[in-house]
Amino acid sequence: MLQLDTTYTAATLPENDNVNPYAFSVALNGSWFISKGAMIAYYGRIDFEAVAAFASREAWVAAQFSSPIYVQDWVVANGQGKLLLADRGYDVNSYDIDAGNLTIKATNLLAFDAGLELKQSIVPGFVTLIGTGKFLASSNGPVIFKEPPFRADPEALLGWADCPAPSHHHDAAWMAANMMAAAQGMFGRVSGEERQFDFTGAGVILLQSSETTRSDPATLRLIESQAAVLPVQQKQTLAQRLAAEVQQSQQQNR
Amino acid sequence: MGQLRADGRVLHVDLQGETIRARTGSMVAYEGKVDFKSAGMGGGGGFRAALKQRVAGEGLSLMEVSGAGHVMLAEDGQYVTRVELNNETLTVEADSLLALTQGLQTDVKFIGLQNLSNGQGVATTVVSGSGEVALLSDGPMIALGVQGDEVFVDPQAYVASQGNLQMNLISGVSWRTFVGEGNGEAFTQRFTGQGVVFLQPAERGA
Repeated sequence: MLQLDTTYTAATLPENDNVNPYAFSVALNGSWFISKGAMIAYYGRIDFEAVAAFASREAWVAAQFSSPIYVQDWVVANGQGKLLLADRGYDVNSYDIDAGNLTIKATNLLAFDAGLELKQSIVPGFVTLIGTGKFLASSNGPVIFKEPPFRADPEALLGWADCPAPSHHHDAAWMAANMMAAAQGMFGRVSGEERQFDFTGAGVILLQSSETTRSDPATLRLIESQAAVLPVQQKQTLAQRLAAEVQQSQQQNR
Repeated sequence: MGQLRADGRVLHVDLQGETIRARTGSMVAYEGKVDFKSAGMGGGGGFRAALKQRVAGEGLSLMEVSGAGHVMLAEDGQYVTRVELNNETLTVEADSLLALTQGLQTDVKFIGLQNLSNGQGVATTVVSGSGEVALLSDGPMIALGVQGDEVFVDPQAYVASQGNLQMNLISGVSWRTFVGEGNGEAFTQRFTGQGVVFLQPAERGA
């Protein structure tokens, strides 16, 4: 296979299709939202601008991109040309939403066109796309589609469409063993498999065939914003616990 | 059909008395009567190349493979791409060079501080002459042609470029918006002229 006999040009690059399983070519004519770092090359006249800066000029952006904690991780690509997107050599697939909604892990979302609206999901680390349009997502290995009722490993979960947001499910044996500890406010993890996402209702669940995830820079911002609602005393408790944890892990690394 | 044949993540080499140069330690199997020895200073590029490499930190380590037989080369499960040169030059990162046939010379070219943003060297390896080159890429290679127009490439996805190309670095105002947390592109490489730019569908160091 892979004798390199295809040299692409701006004209011969695919129009909104995969170049190979790991790279996608967007025929840009207007605006797309692009995750920082996803662009590997482009032809044409394309401007890249931070979402925040772009929103100050174009009022519609603020309405389409409704998630302050992810704003720093995204740019708007605006213009005409061919835009090549990839993510660490992961599989890249495009999906079309037709007057629907889909929730996806934020670190796996590479790009979406301006016809879609992005909102932060109630489930931390996930974002919801609403409307009609195309988006690109990466997965470590091919995507697996499942229907509820279904329990998914949080690391392998890529997203879901049309079904209600999942609830946490904890392994019964783990729960029994940890009841006492939980009552004291301490949680331990045993096998790494005791916590699952439980899906019910009708819809589709997307999984990747690997449990490797990328660290999400927005997690810290998310927790920070949530911790803001705590009263001062509880903030202090949280700070002490975190400090103790950091100290412990530093000692272990020594 | 030449001496080198790329097959996914493996390079097949057919030798009938010729000598090729290949990345040190990349041999995974061979049959026939084949000798492997270090290509010497500067990956066979001689003393000047060795000195420049030392200065530039462009670490090219090659071995000479000679004899008669069939050799299979591979490196870290990376994809292999074969490129033919007809009295041309190919600019490539030393880490992405797997093998080259007789009739090709390697040298080190200083390219300034352009790749400072991603920790790559300030120099790059230049292959010139006529023959075949095998390149490595993280994921299947994508070749983008430049014919009087221009193409913009993320330095972390860039692997090699062939032909008469000029490269300059764009760090315009719009590009600074990429800088921030995570792995945003602070710079982009702009290629103009006539030639082909090779890139991989993955960012180095990501």
